[in-house]
Amino acid sequence: MSEDAVARGTSGFSFVRERLLLGLAPKEYLRSLLTPANVLITAILAAGIPCIVLRFTKGLGAVTNLSQAYPWGLWVAFDVISGVALAAGGYTVACAVFIFGQKLYLPVLRAAILTGFLGYVLVLVGLIVDLGQPWRLPYQFFLTPGTTAVMYEVGWCVFLYLIVLALEFAPAALEWLGLDKLRRILGKMTIAIIVLGVTLSTLHQSSLGAFFLMAPGKLHPLWYSPYLPVFFFVSSITAGIGMVIFESTVSHRAFQDQLDPKAHVDLDGITLGLSRAGALVLFAYFFIRLQGLAGSGRWDLLATGWGAWWALEMLGFILLPSLLFAMAVRRADVKLARAAAVVTVLGVLMNRFNVSLIAFNWTLPNRYVPAAAEVLISLTIVTLGVVVFRWIVNRMPVLAGHLDQRGSR
Amino acid sequence: MNENELLSPHATKAIEYGIAVAYLLLFIPFWSALNAPVRSRAVSGAWRFADWFYVPEGIFLHKGHAWARPEPAGVAVGLDDFVHDFVGTIEAVDLPTVGHRIRQGRTAFGIRAGGKSFELRAPVSGTVTCVNERALADPGGLHSDPYGAGWLFRVRPDRLDPNLRSLFSRGAARRFLAEATESLYLAFHPEALSLAQDGGLLVHGIARELDPEHWDDLVRSRLLTH
Repeated sequence: MSEDAVARGTSGFSFVRERLLLGLAPKEYLRSLLTPANVLITAILAAGIPCIVLRFTKGLGAVTNLSQAYPWGLWVAFDVISGVALAAGGYTVACAVFIFGQKLYLPVLRAAILTGFLGYVLVLVGLIVDLGQPWRLPYQFFLTPGTTAVMYEVGWCVFLYLIVLALEFAPAALEWLGLDKLRRILGKMTIAIIVLGVTLSTLHQSSLGAFFLMAPGKLHPLWYSPYLPVFFFVSSITAGIGMVIFESTVSHRAFQDQLDPKAHVDLDGITLGLSRAGALVLFAYFFIRLQGLAGSGRWDLLATGWGAWWALEMLGFILLPSLLFAMAVRRADVKLARAAAVVTVLGVLMNRFNVSLIAFNWTLPNRYVPAAAEVLISLTIVTLGVVVFRWIVNRMPVLAGHLDQRGSR
Repeated sequence: MNENELLSPHATKAIEYGIAVAYLLLFIPFWSALNAPVRSRAVSGAWRFADWFYVPEGIFLHKGHAWARPEPAGVAVGLDDFVHDFVGTIEAVDLPTVGHRIRQGRTAFGIRAGGKSFELRAPVSGTVTCVNERALADPGGLHSDPYGAGWLFRVRPDRLDPNLRSLFSRGAARRFLAEATESLYLAFHPEALSLAQDGGLLVHGIARELDPEHWDDLVRSRLLTH
């Protein structure tokens, strides 16, 4: 064997061992995977993947409670509509850092973009599982473009934004692979990519709300409003802020060994800065939602059970986290800020479920309740996302720092 | 059309305007409360030491413990209060001459304390435009006002914005100093960490207390000039 071949062989071995197996021998690596968390993950995947196989071999009817009256169920409400909102952290932080110049948030940008990217990949996976004939997904772009349909716009936006998120995250992958030249070329396109990403997000986050404008008779009047696109867009910002606080806290605890001790990341300062923004956006969102009710004039519905549910969403999951965020900023209380972030994320989930599932078809006598297999498949998709997130963060420079942050622009 | 039907759109509009006005009126106290001075920082990790340090607004710290403050006459450079507490009374300063070019991160000036000389790294790049004669004449008095009268020299910067981006300011600066202190505790007196959050001050010239034999190496490691 020539010296070159030996060198190549050694380099290939070193790549697999150092980059993929975290510097461990294959046996050691496999042994390191035996953790309680991985046992739980394996159990979820072992139960969920057969359900996904069943869905594709036996059809939607075999695993779901979907019907002609309820063609959109848990997967659309949770994996697609909620998933897009919860993945909004990427464009929220990217906009703050690169457009508004808030460099303080640079240390959490990559993790936010990775969460956004994986979030949108999961939206796509959820959509493929949910669509009766998923292979027809590209038809809307090329074969049967419905240029006046909201779905057409959402489809294009999500498709393009997925590419943009891949490009936004690519620098971390290129640094990991040691492709510095390509990374520098991509670095020069940063601002253009970020602006495109923010524009596409503004369009489709609001358009997801616009879906429901065509169903004024089906959506309960307390949630239906001509301002639904505005509601969805503004609340996606709150979801993004909440998710970035939540995700950065969890990541910095779970992946402490990934942090650069010399970077001196002021995570508390970042959390409190995001909390200030969260307080203001939620405060405005509360009044915008009130305007929606004022426009319909259906104040009488507040005295019903639906009214109590609506008031719980408004007071408990919009106004309350706004005030909690404000108190956290006033007291510089990071724990309170994290609690407010969790309430905010739950509030956005609650809103998306209300609009797309709970208050939708509210007059029908037989309500849809998701089948156990639907819940399991959703859980499987989220678990896959967590596994991929962990795999990437353990290998690529996601938390260890951004090149720009390290001053080597 | 009866009178109620005629007025109903106006009533709806009145409510909408009412909500908008209520939002604006409530936004004023909400904004004021949100931007009022913070009462206290929650104690966690290195923040237990944060109250020991004071970093004024406008000061940017380098990891080597020199600071920079952009001013109309140029960028003033000095030493943070950690250095003063760490090395003790400064006996002499060795400053660059006017016209000398310094570069961020490179050694640019020196101090003498406890009979030992130490170099420090420049927080910004630029050309030295003046030096503080009072600092040269009375180096022992520098610690009384490290971020004010304790400035050492001024530079005309040539890459100020990118330079400032790699420095610590405000909360990050205090956290940096707090972490530097915490790491000292961890290295020499980890058992004292639990007591430290009850309050205290760094002993003046603590480096000599911590490691009497190799204290100069300890100082150089903290000033990143080892």
